[in-house]
Amino acid sequence: MTDGVLRVMVVDDHPMWREAVARDLGEAGLRVVATASDGAEALRRLPAVRPDVVVLDLQMPTLDGVATTRRIVAEHPGVRVLVLTASGEQSDLLEAVKAGATGYLVKSASSPELLDAVRRTGTGEAVFTAGLAGLVLGEFRRMASAAPHDEPEGMTPRLTERETEILRLVAKGLSSRQIADRLVISHRTVQNHTQNVLTKLQLHNRVELTRYAIEQGLDET
Amino acid sequence: MSGSRARLSRRARARARGRSGIIGPVERSAVVTSEGGLVADDARLWRAVGVFRVAALLYAGLLHVRVDDEYRHGWGGWAVLAVLAVWTGYLLVRADRRPRALWADLALACAAVLATRFLDDPERVVAGAQTLPSIYAASPVLAFAVWRGWRAGLGAALTVAAADVAEVGGRLSTTTVNNIVLLVLAGTVVGYAVELFRAGRRDLARAVAVEAASRERERLAADIHDSVLQVLAYVRKRGGEVGGEAAEIARLAGEQEVRLRALIATGEPVSTAGGEQDVRAVLGALATGRVSVTGPAEPVLVPARAAGAVCGAVRAALDNVAQHAGPAALAWVLVEDEDDAVTVTVRDDGVGMPAGRLDAAEHEGRLGVVASIRGRIEDVGGTVSVVSAPGEGTEVELRVPRARGRTT
Repeated sequence: MTDGVLRVMVVDDHPMWREAVARDLGEAGLRVVATASDGAEALRRLPAVRPDVVVLDLQMPTLDGVATTRRIVAEHPGVRVLVLTASGEQSDLLEAVKAGATGYLVKSASSPELLDAVRRTGTGEAVFTAGLAGLVLGEFRRMASAAPHDEPEGMTPRLTERETEILRLVAKGLSSRQIADRLVISHRTVQNHTQNVLTKLQLHNRVELTRYAIEQGLDET
Repeated sequence: MSGSRARLSRRARARARGRSGIIGPVERSAVVTSEGGLVADDARLWRAVGVFRVAALLYAGLLHVRVDDEYRHGWGGWAVLAVLAVWTGYLLVRADRRPRALWADLALACAAVLATRFLDDPERVVAGAQTLPSIYAASPVLAFAVWRGWRAGLGAALTVAAADVAEVGGRLSTTTVNNIVLLVLAGTVVGYAVELFRAGRRDLARAVAVEAASRERERLAADIHDSVLQVLAYVRKRGGEVGGEAAEIARLAGEQEVRLRALIATGEPVSTAGGEQDVRAVLGALATGRVSVTGPAEPVLVPARAAGAVCGAVRAALDNVAQHAGPAALAWVLVEDEDDAVTVTVRDDGVGMPAGRLDAAEHEGRLGVVASIRGRIEDVGGTVSVVSAPGEGTEVELRVPRARGRTT
């Protein structure tokens, strides 16, 4: 954000959407620095246009949204990814979020919602919708029940009671302000908690990938 | 894990999705091949019977060369074998498998066995010497087994056995008994094996057909669903922005979009082999523009009965939201998969109600929505709790315990 204007790149294989999203964001005063029609093109153009936020379609030919997210996060650590999805396919969404996307929106979300999500992504805040909260909650539960009983402490990330409580409220559609009121904590604290949850998940995913790479001997090549 | 398979295939189809082509050529080759295979496999069985016939006939010929001069009428033996040879040639060349031909085959074999009694030396007959057709008599038994399974095989074997008994005039020697036992075994075992083979092949054909159908559905999901979703979402978004009449079109498009997305997001609510259903998929179908359904990425499997109860209860709760929570109320359905239970929460942001009103309603015997929800869930061993306050909406939590020892 060189001059305070959020720089955005829009990646979607449907021209109609690419243009609609770019127009919405442009009209709202954001700077759409580039558009791309698939993940590979996005990665090629990314170093030159230096966006703050990449708005990424999940379903694309050649390089799909999950793989693109993984590479953007790995190769351009400052760039944040907001996923847009038409189908809401749960497993792919979870993978994208674990790979480093800071949130997702379904495509039919209204322009103000999209704008708000892009702005929040730009400031590094997680876009925690009810859908994402339900997914993340499920994923932590899955990891906990899949973990062996004799596993050393800290191998599998777990949610604190507070985090679980907040995530459940988000998943039931409460806004962070409503949650703050209900739990008698500050709005900021709620956001910190949701942010922590996402970081925990993404960090664990990176650790898992690294562990897998070492086990498979991929680190030696 | 069934989830990972579904995930892989969905990802594969997302990758396979072309950029412009909507409908490719329909995949039907697998089904056609399998049906072609059915005919070919039966032909192979019949060919095997044919090979046995020829080998058995040659064997009978060789035997007769050795005992020709011991027969009362050696030439008569050759005549019978010649008839069998012509018959075998006819069966092989014309591939005649009509029931009439099979019955004739059986009759001919029995006749050949009985002919031995008149053509051979009576002393040899009494001693239980080989019959004229010897093991050729087993070929109609095999043919019946291939034709109609083990019962037909057994029936044919008993018929030939009766001819055998008649041939020796009822004085059974060890050899004859042994032959009869072998004949009965051959007919039954081969018939049974053929039945197993056919059943297996039917299952395979069915599996291939199901597989082809599901591939076709996945391809449709990838191509058409995605394209349709993109357009519906676009209409919903733009129509809403334009307003006026377009807003109504946007609303309609939005409803279809949500339903289609629910279908894709969790897949269709199909039952697993163990009679379990994915609660997410079942509830996903209840999503609308005002109701969002969230849950884990993996299927949440519970017995179909429990899934039905939960679905009915959630439907009742959502109906209640639509009726009482106010026109602008939104609702959220959250599915949580805990190790020992499945929790489903239905929350709305409507007008809510004062504490105790629901209890009072239940006490007064006015069986309202809560009673209906409670009834369904308690039927499957679950519990229900309802929290509501004026202005804060209503939250209904359903908890259904899960049987131990589930497989994940």
